[in-house]
Order: sequence, then structure tokens, then C-alpha cells
Amino acid sequence: MASDRRGGGRCWEWDSPHCRAQMDEIFFRPHDYIQAGSGEHKDFWAFFERFQRFKAKKEMSGSKDSKGRASSEGKPPKKAGGVDLGLPKEYDARYRINISVYTKDVEEKVLSSKHGHATSGSGKQEIADCRLALLHFLDFSQKQSFSKLAKLRREQKSLPIFQYRDKIVNLVKGHPVVVVAGDTGCGKSTQVPQYLLNSGFTNIACTQPRRIACISLAKRVSFESLNQYGSKVGYQIRFETTRTLATKLLFLTEGLLLRQIQQDHSLGQYQVLIVDEVHERHLHCDFLLGVLRSLTGLRPDLRLVLMSATINIKLFSEYFNNAPVLQVPGRLFPIQVIYQPIPAEEQSSKSEKLDPRPYLRVLQGIDQRYPAEERGDLLLFLSGVAEISTVLDACQIYATHTNRWIVLPLHSTLSLAQQDKVFDIPPPGVRKCIICTNIAETSVTIDGVRFVVDSGKVKEMSFDPKAKMQRLQEFWISRASSEQRKGRAGRTGPGVCYRLYSESDYDAFAPYPVPEIHRVALDSLVLQMKSMGLGDPRSFVFIDPPPAASIQTAVTYLKEQGALDARAELTPIGTLLAQLPVDVVIGKMLVLGSLFNLVEPVLTVAAALSVQSPFLRSAQHNPDCTTARQPLQSNQGDPFTLLNTFNAWVQVKGERGGGSRKWCRRRGLEEQRLYEMTNLRRQFKELLRSHELLEDEATSATTEQRSQRRDRLTERRRLHQLKRQHDLQEGGRRKVLKLGEGGEDLAGSSGSEEESSAGRGKKKEKDGAGESVDIQEVKFKLRHNVHELQEVANASQDLSSRQQCLLKLLLCRGLYPQLAAPDEHNATRKESEQIFHTRNKQGVVIHPTSVFASDPEVLHVPELERSEFGAEKGQSSRHQLLAFVTLLETNKPYVSNCVRVPALQALLLVANSVDSNADCTRMVVDGWLELCLSDGDGALRILSSALTLRGEWERLLQAQLSKHRAPRRELEKLGENLVRYLLYTEVSYSLCRLTALQTQNLYIGPQPDSALEGAPILNSLFPGVKAEPDQVKGGLRVTSFFTYNCLSDSKDLYSECLRTFWTCPHCDLHMPFTPLERMHHEATCRPGGEKQEDELESEKPVSSSTSSLARVYHCDLCGKDLTLTSTEILKHKRQHAVQQ
Amino acid sequence: MEGGGGGGEFSCRLCGLSTPFSYFGQKPPNTRAVVLLEESYVMKDPFSPDKEKFLVLGSSCSLCAKSVCVGTDCSLFYTRRFCLPCVKERLDQFPQQIQAEVAKKK
Repeated sequence: MASDRRGGGRCWEWDSPHCRAQMDEIFFRPHDYIQAGSGEHKDFWAFFERFQRFKAKKEMSGSKDSKGRASSEGKPPKKAGGVDLGLPKEYDARYRINISVYTKDVEEKVLSSKHGHATSGSGKQEIADCRLALLHFLDFSQKQSFSKLAKLRREQKSLPIFQYRDKIVNLVKGHPVVVVAGDTGCGKSTQVPQYLLNSGFTNIACTQPRRIACISLAKRVSFESLNQYGSKVGYQIRFETTRTLATKLLFLTEGLLLRQIQQDHSLGQYQVLIVDEVHERHLHCDFLLGVLRSLTGLRPDLRLVLMSATINIKLFSEYFNNAPVLQVPGRLFPIQVIYQPIPAEEQSSKSEKLDPRPYLRVLQGIDQRYPAEERGDLLLFLSGVAEISTVLDACQIYATHTNRWIVLPLHSTLSLAQQDKVFDIPPPGVRKCIICTNIAETSVTIDGVRFVVDSGKVKEMSFDPKAKMQRLQEFWISRASSEQRKGRAGRTGPGVCYRLYSESDYDAFAPYPVPEIHRVALDSLVLQMKSMGLGDPRSFVFIDPPPAASIQTAVTYLKEQGALDARAELTPIGTLLAQLPVDVVIGKMLVLGSLFNLVEPVLTVAAALSVQSPFLRSAQHNPDCTTARQPLQSNQGDPFTLLNTFNAWVQVKGERGGGSRKWCRRRGLEEQRLYEMTNLRRQFKELLRSHELLEDEATSATTEQRSQRRDRLTERRRLHQLKRQHDLQEGGRRKVLKLGEGGEDLAGSSGSEEESSAGRGKKKEKDGAGESVDIQEVKFKLRHNVHELQEVANASQDLSSRQQCLLKLLLCRGLYPQLAAPDEHNATRKESEQIFHTRNKQGVVIHPTSVFASDPEVLHVPELERSEFGAEKGQSSRHQLLAFVTLLETNKPYVSNCVRVPALQALLLVANSVDSNADCTRMVVDGWLELCLSDGDGALRILSSALTLRGEWERLLQAQLSKHRAPRRELEKLGENLVRYLLYTEVSYSLCRLTALQTQNLYIGPQPDSALEGAPILNSLFPGVKAEPDQVKGGLRVTSFFTYNCLSDSKDLYSECLRTFWTCPHCDLHMPFTPLERMHHEATCRPGGEKQEDELESEKPVSSSTSSLARVYHCDLCGKDLTLTSTEILKHKRQHAVQQ
Repeated sequence: MEGGGGGGEFSCRLCGLSTPFSYFGQKPPNTRAVVLLEESYVMKDPFSPDKEKFLVLGSSCSLCAKSVCVGTDCSLFYTRRFCLPCVKERLDQFPQQIQAEVAKKK
């Protein structure tokens, strides 16, 4: 072409900005297909330069080439079978492009203006060059996109499930429930939702057991259905959603779908429900299946698809009325199985460390048998973290000798960064050896694995209802798990699986793992069932019903917690707890916290106790981390340490933003957990607010200056942009591992700081943008107002000792009955041998991560005091108890997340059952802890105040729950009184656990003829509570939790009738009282000053309250019927006494 | 939409690639100066975040009129669209470069 020939000789200034600007004016105007300033525009100019260089090179070598071509082209095509296509004889790449760009009008304008100004600049030649480059550029991008599309379609077609596409769609159209069973790699999770979507179904929900799967599936499926940038396919997990009105296919967690059913029983928003991975048999999934089973009757139009591995398919089909099953073969390469049982001398007993030799032999064997050039990594399944670290150490040594392995651990307590490393690539000639728990069985999939070593062991959680304890025990795995582990070796090519047990062992394995519903406490499940109105949980048709005893335990527990009433119906607080996506005890804390002015710290603590601990275990042995953590620790208890940590982190966030990453690393903290806490605490706050347990916050917008607001909006725009950029860049290449990398600790230490900055450097190269974006930080800032959080953190950072004290009580009441008492002899024991007891489990120890494990002395009764009150052994006013979050038995029963509380006060304020003798100097709490007070007067005073405080607390709590907000002043008063009670109750007492024999003969039992003559008076001891003889324990049931004089060893039977002189500190009434009369008086007599205050402030409520307290009293002495309050009755009686 | 019609499922008669298209014609919407030299099946480029970017899926062979995709295994463009079977039939009429290309495929 003419232009080509000319262009070869002359080289115009591509780089000149002036020239480019002129070209931009022609080709890249604001409304053009490609606009100046856009990313594509930049790409074009880069392309342009390459294109020009390419052309120049071609022309240099092209002259002789074209000569040769000319001669061949010179021959006219003669043999053409008839039609002449009329194609141009001279080849030009230009003819291959099916796109054209018309810019004549603009060109002319630009050119003419140029001539007018007589500037020499871009002329026709430049325009032609640029146009040609643009055409090639457009063609190039078309080809790029199309080949992506073609590849995608090819991959979809090659999936085993592809040929069943029509069958699946037809089955679903024709049946309400369909089971699709297919093994790993058949493509069911990604394809089935698409098949349904493409065949016209809309509003499809697909559940997943794991959040991460929701996100990655939504990403993959939206890409495959060519809707990557739309929201046709979305996901919804606890704190994140991409769902919009346009969303037709939604991936969500099982738990979330259950919550949606709670809101909308018929799930009208969905047409199709796909429940994936049903074979995993998670608690939520089993329950969900049960709920959906009843829903199918209610909604005949609803389509239900269960997807499972080819495990126990019959079970699912039968559960749904023999639903049709479609079985799809998986796509696995052949895997050779080698049974290599561990010889007896290398088998370790329970107490011993694992012997790593059998595992090392496998590594050696691989090195001998397979050349290093043949790629393929090793996945080694062990039961737990301790086992992993033992084998890791041994393998590490072997690896440094051979230089052929990089050994990496993988388990859930590792930092996410460390977990992520298993996806990185080893250098050539080196294999990865990933030593993992069963996390890699299903949750984490690593490509490139060729060898699997299976120890055959797993540690599984079970629940011991008798001890109310979780237990983590080692078991043989099931055949199904064993096959699943094996399958990990054949995902990308043929593989080998070494089983470190014999074939006969394998045959003896259980066929399937024990479903979760048989292993865990069912408290939350039962609560949720109740709130969904599913009736009696015992008659609910589960796919595999849990033992009735297990349900019964849960019902009893929920009753104890006040979530269910005596008839096992939901109480108001139970209704609320069912809405909170947390354990009952944590939920209780939140509700209690909302009552007092302690919402913010309680929100933080509740959130912190609901996520995995941010404190990395691996950092505990790092002295630098320990030192850096020191200021965060609180010897009040672990929840306070967590609170301090969160608050300090928020401050760092506010001051240094992205610097928090480093701050966390120094302290061995997993920042991800802190982000989760932030999200969770916000969710809690919203939930409390939606239940009107919290007042709406005064909108901060009013106080915000206009300029501030503008700044904030600009900032938000910037953050959104960063997030979008990040989303686009995702899926970057994996890092290449270095030899010797892996096992060492990432946390803390100055060394790791270097490593991380090196890591950032690498990231910079990868991103190209030259800016490393901490996407978590961006998301955090988008979701939360840092300044608001900072204020909140400030407020809860400087809790006064009084607030701290009240907070402890709230935590304790929330956690109750999870209490542990120290062993009597702890003070004489070594730090590491401190023993505690719960009501149901003797001899538990404090988990080493707890502050009390390193500082047990704060739990001891002071030495000095013990000798001072030496008269009676064990008497002190400083006994303490631990309230704890979890009790988990591994090699020992451990309590973790503990907080210490003053024993007597806490017990009297929170316990469900307090029994006393006649003069209340001996009290037994919950049938296991005995409190003996030497000071009878003090005992009565303390008990009496506790009854009053609890009555008031309960009243205000109920008011709050029934949405009649309790008056702030009353709440403040109650808070103050509780604190005073906790801090200033100075009475000496002994605290011990009852022996088995004592427990047997604890109560006097029902008395045929009650000696309690003065009973009528007691009816009004607490408004609304009727005191009557206890039918089981004997004595008098004064309140729901307090039974008077039912203990069988009462010193004398008459002390209950014995009156002693006492002066009421409030009304100065001085007269002889029986213990009960005195308590009654104290409960009803309010301090004089306070009463006046009340009357002054508002007359109405007081008058109404007096009238409600007053009742008709018939005086036997004067024979009159009088309307009097209880106090007035006493006064009235005294009149007669004086007259006599 | 200017020019051609829109909507439907495009299916390549040779490789079976099948995907919905949103426009058929030579002037996809919002492309300004860009024009196609053949009547094509077009969709919004699913791999670009930009809503205005289009992707040509295929068109009809100028000889046999079969719908074919633009994939190099099914068709080529040389001033017009030809499906590969038609190209092979009249291979000698195509320039050397294309002949070499087609030969390489076999």
C-alpha cells in the first residue's frame, strides 16, 4: 500500500504529546468508543508503539520477503472451480479485520483548522497510521475476549455433568424434589444453577455450608454466565451481599437461609432452592432439610434440588418421598492406594508424642521413586495441631537436608496469611509438603497434589451433656472421609495415596462420619425451632433424629437460661435470643448490657467472644509479642483483654489507618478477626436497635460540618474506586515459594517485619499500579465510621472501676451457669497445677491462653486475711469464682475466656437456686456450692439486699423487653446499687463444694404441717410472687430462685420463728422481727429520702405504685379490713403491740 | 436500536458454541465511529466492565450463509466472512498467507 511505503521512510513523532493530542481529537473524543483518558486509551497507545516497532521491523526484513511473495502471487489462480471470489490478490492484514472506523468528518475539520493556522503537525499520514493501529487494536481486543468466551464454553462442555444438562432440567421441571449426586470435579456446584437459570427458572437460591464457597461460587458462576459485571448472580453471607433486585441466582449460607425462613415461613422469594453438599451433614443443613421437607407440602410450586457427593444417596432420596436421583460420575484420575500400616513399635500411646518416622519414610520413598522433575505435591492428613507440629519439625529437618521439599502446615488456627501460603508454587525440582488437619478434606482445595498421606485419624468435637462440656477427641475416620482424602491426589492427574493403616482397618471404619447433629449441644437449634413455631422438637422429623436425651438437655438448659418457660414456650427474652446469631449466653449478655449504660463495651465483648480469638497461638512463645501484648492484658479476665485489644486497635485505625496491619503483626494478632468483630458488633447493635432495646442514635449529620461531610463523601468515593480496582485485579498470580520457607513463625518478631515488607514489594510488582491496597482496610472504612468507633472505644477504654465491676456482673449473669470455683488448695499449688471445679465437672484447668493461667494469684484468697479470720477455716470476704465461655476437653478439660467475680455477691445475684437454713447463715447455691456466714445479722442483710436488687433488676428487664422502656433514672439507680453491693459487701464467709453425701441429704423435704404461721405476710414479699411451701425441698419458696429454710441441717427448728430486735436503716422502725419478716420489710421499705425524691419528681407513678403495693389486710386484733401496704401493715401491727 | 434487530441465541453451526446475542447488524449501539464490515451477531463484551464495549460472536458465511462464530477454527475474515469448509474448497483463491495458515490447522 502507498501509505505503507511512505511510512517506512518517515518516522513521525509518536511520543510528541502534541501529536497524540491531535490524534486523540480525531479518534478518542469524549463520546467515542474509546475515550481519551480511559484505561483502554492508555492500552491503545502502548499497543500503538508496539505495533509501529513491529511494522518497522517487518519492513526492514520485508523487502526480499515481499519479492518472493510477489512471484508466487503473480501466477493467476486458474484452477478455481467456477466462481471467482474476487479477493484482493495482494495480501494485507488489513483485509482480515471486520471493523472499520469512520472519522472523515472530524479529520477534515482538524486538518482544515491545521492549515488555517499553518502549523506543521499531524497530517494524513499520521491519521492513516493511527487508524490502522486502532483497527488492529480493536481486532486484537475482539479476539482476546472471544477466545476467553470460547475457552469458557469448551471447559463447560468438557465437564462430566454437561451431558446431563437436559436431563437435570427436565427432572427439576417434573419433580418437586430432585437429588443430584456427583463426585468431586463433576461440576455440579457451578453448572446445575446455571442450567436452571438458562432454562428459564428465576429466583434461585443455592446454599453452601461455607461462606467462602458462597463468594467463590458466585464469582465463578457470574463469570461463566457472562455476567461478571452485572448482579444477575450474587451471594449473601453474614456481613456481605452483592444481591440486588436484578439478582436471579443467589449463593448463601445454610444458616442465612434458615434466618430467612424465620422471617418468611413460605420463602416466597425463591422459586428454586438448591442445597449443596448435603452429604457433609452439618447441623444447619440437616435442620434445613427438615424445614424444607415440610415446606414442600406448603409450596407445591417450589423446586428443591439436593446436591451431594455419591455418599448415602438413598438416605436423602427416601427422606424426600423417594425423590428421583441423578448420579453423575466424577472426574478423577486413577489413584494408586498403598496400605502402609504403622509398625507396633512406632505407634504412640495417647500420652506420647506422635512418632514422625512413618511419615518421613513416605517422603523418602517419593524422593527415591519419582524423579524431582516430575511435579506433584504432597498432602499429609493428621488429626490435630500438636501432631502437625511434631511431624512438621521432623519433615523440616529432612527438607533442609535434601533441598527437595518445602514443608507447610495448614490448620484453622494459623493466620490467614500462613494458610494462604499453601497455594503458592514451589520452585522447579521442589515439592510442597502440606501437613494439614481435615480442613483440606473438603473446605480447602489445593491444586497440584499428587501424593496423599492419610493417618486415618481425625479430631472431632463431641458434646458431653452430663458434664456440659465439649470434647475434642481423636477417632478413626470413616470410609467416606478416607475416600475423600484419597480423592485429593487425583484432581489434576494420576496420583498415589498412602494409607498409614491396614486394609482391614479400613474395612472396619464406619461407613460415614457421625453427623454433627449427633455430636453437638442442641441449645441454639432448639431455640431456633421454637422461634420458627415448629412445635415439639422431639417430634420434628429430622433426616437422622438426634437422641431425645440430647434435645431434652437443650430444653432444660434453655429453661434454666430463662429462654423457655415451664411449658417450654418461648419467653420474651427467648424470642429475642432466637434472633441473635450467637450462643445463648452471649445473647443474654447483649440483652443485659442494653439495660445499663454499658452497651458499647458489652457489644465489643459479645462480638469478641463470638469469633475466633485474634491472639495467634503461634505468637505466644515469641517474647517480643508477649511483651507487646502486655499492656492489653487485664487480670479481670480474658473478655477484658479482648475489649482492651479491640479498643486499642480502633485507636490505631483512627490514627494511622493502614498502620494497623503492622501493629497487629507486632502483637501476634490476626487482624481479620478484629475486622470480623467490628462487623459483628455492628450487627448486634442493629439487632438490639430493631428490637427497641437501644435508642436510635442522634444522627451525627447534624453536628457534622458541611466541609467535613464533603470530605467524607470524597473519601468514600475514593474508597469505592479502590475496591472496584481491587475486584478487577483479583486472581493475581501466585507467589513462588523459596526453599526453607514455610514452617517458621510469621508472627511478631523483627524478622517477620522484614519479610512482610519484602512481600509488599513483590505485591507492588504484581499490581503494576504501584500501590499496595489493603482491601480489608478499604472495606472496613467503607462499612464503618472510624471516628464514631473511636469515640465508642474511648468511652469503653476508660471504664471506671465501678463500671468495670458492673460489666463483670453482666458477663457473669450472661455466662451463668458456666461458673467454676477454685479448688480449696490452689494457694499451695504450683502455678501450672491450679484446679477448678464446675457444677458438673471436677478438676478442670485454665486454658494456657487465659490471663489466669499466667497470673493465678489474683484468684487466691489473700494470705493475710485467711489468718486474720483464722477462727473459722476458709472464712474470707474475698472468695472469687470464674465465669467462663467454653469448657473443652482435649487432653485435659480446659476452661477458656474466663472472668473473675466476687463469689457470694455474684451467686446471690445470678444463681437460679439459692437455699438457706432458718437464720440464713448457711446457703447452698444450685445444689453444689455452700456458703457459710458467721455473722447472722450480716447474712440477713446481704440476702435481703440481693432479693431486692434482683427483684428490681428483673422488673426493669421485663419492662425493657416488653418495649416499655424502663426509666433511665431507675436504671441508673439499680446500676449504682448493684455496684455498691458488689464492691462494699464486706462479710466473711466460707465457700466450699458439697460432697456427694451432703448433696443427698440436702433438703428437709416437704413438711406435712407447715410451721410457718406468718405465711400470709410473705405472699407479698415480692410483688407478683407468691410464697408457698416448696413441694420438693421443703421450706418456703420465697421467690423463683430463693427457698427459705429448706436445708436439712438447720441448727434449730425454731429460729425461723425467733424474733430479734432490729432497726430498719430506712424508716428507723425498731422492733423484733423473724428473719423472713425482716427480709420482707427490707423489700418493701424504701429509703426515706428516695421516696420523697420520687414523690417530688412525679406524683402519678408513685401514687399508682403505692396503690398497687397496697392490698386489703384483715387485722385479727382490731377486726378491721384495711387497705395497706406491707410496711403499713407492720406498723399497724406494732400499734397493737404497743397498746398491749 | 439502530439498524439490525436484537436478541436471541447465537449458535455456531460448526463448533456448536452457543451464547445469547443482543444485537444483529453492522452498527452495534453506542459505538460511534466504529462500524462492522459484515452483519454480525453481537453481545456486550462480558469481560469488560465497560457497558458500551461490544463483542462480535459470529456472522454468516458469505458463500454458504451458515452462521459461524469468529473463532479461527470455524471461520476467517478476508474482506468477507468465510466458514472454514468453504475456504478449504476454494483455498487456491486465497493468498499464500491464508493458505499456509489453513494448512497449519490440519
